[in-house]
Amino acid sequence: MIPVRCFSCGKVIASSWDEYKRRTKDGEEPAQVMDDLGITRYCCRRMLLSHVELIDTLAPYQ
Amino acid sequence: MTMEVDILELSDRSAKFVLSNTTTAFANGIRRAALADVPTLAITEINIYNNTSVLYDEQLGLRLALIPLTSNMEDFIPKEECNCGDFCPACQVSLTLSAEGPGMVYSQDLVSSDDKVQPADPNIPIADLREGQKIVLEAIAQMGYGNKHSRWQAGVACGYKNMPIVEFSGCDQCGKCVTECPVNIIKIGTNSAEISTEDMLKCTLCRLCVGICEIDAIDVKVDEHSFIFTVESDGSYSTKELILNAGSVIKDKATSLSEILSTL
Repeated sequence: MIPVRCFSCGKVIASSWDEYKRRTKDGEEPAQVMDDLGITRYCCRRMLLSHVELIDTLAPYQ
Repeated sequence: MTMEVDILELSDRSAKFVLSNTTTAFANGIRRAALADVPTLAITEINIYNNTSVLYDEQLGLRLALIPLTSNMEDFIPKEECNCGDFCPACQVSLTLSAEGPGMVYSQDLVSSDDKVQPADPNIPIADLREGQKIVLEAIAQMGYGNKHSRWQAGVACGYKNMPIVEFSGCDQCGKCVTECPVNIIKIGTNSAEISTEDMLKCTLCRLCVGICEIDAIDVKVDEHSFIFTVESDGSYSTKELILNAGSVIKDKATSLSEILSTL
């Protein structure tokens, strides 16, 4: 799961995750999507950029 | 000298303004108060009745705690400052969450017992539930201060820098500083290189232009009494309310100090 807030500055970034995921999957540049979503600082940008969804790997377990 | 505020940008979630004729101590006081001393509402306790999601209870608890909650902040007081002894509507509010998979659980699925208390962002993912997975819990939100835990941190990325002053004297218009400047604010004017008043705010005080100038025509200084502030809110307050509250926190502290001193 995407962390709710940026580790460094505390900005809520999880609310942008769904749109970010959808638009980058459709082939848009991550940089452009983050600019549109108002994620300007590099601390917040790395949160989205470097996130790996592990929930599908863990899903069979409780 | 009276303090002056010149607002450059003001929106619900972020603000940028110039605070002048004041001291670093005061500017830093405002910054610290916005980060750590403005009380907000956040989930502090959860009673989990059922959690068969892939997230541990603790992970779920942290995720819920970090969701900013909006409300009428005057209606609440921090628990340690409340006289009720146990709990009362003034110091805590209950939210419930019950969801069953498959599907993503969002912050908007939290059902609040007080209509005014709502998550600031409706679309924060809390947990991804698969077929048959369930979450049933009651969350208790309380008022608190950012200096205790980041869940109560109302201001995010609050910061300031001194107003830059860049002076050119005896410039030969060679143009080296124009290409060296990483923020591209130096332009060649009629008699010398120059920076417009608006662009001056963008100067990062890196002094690369001073280093590249062969004839030492550039002087980069700062105005010690003028600050460019950037303030962002997590959504629990509007930035305007956040700054006003930060100011009143400082004022209250100063008042209580003078009260203590007067009784000595």
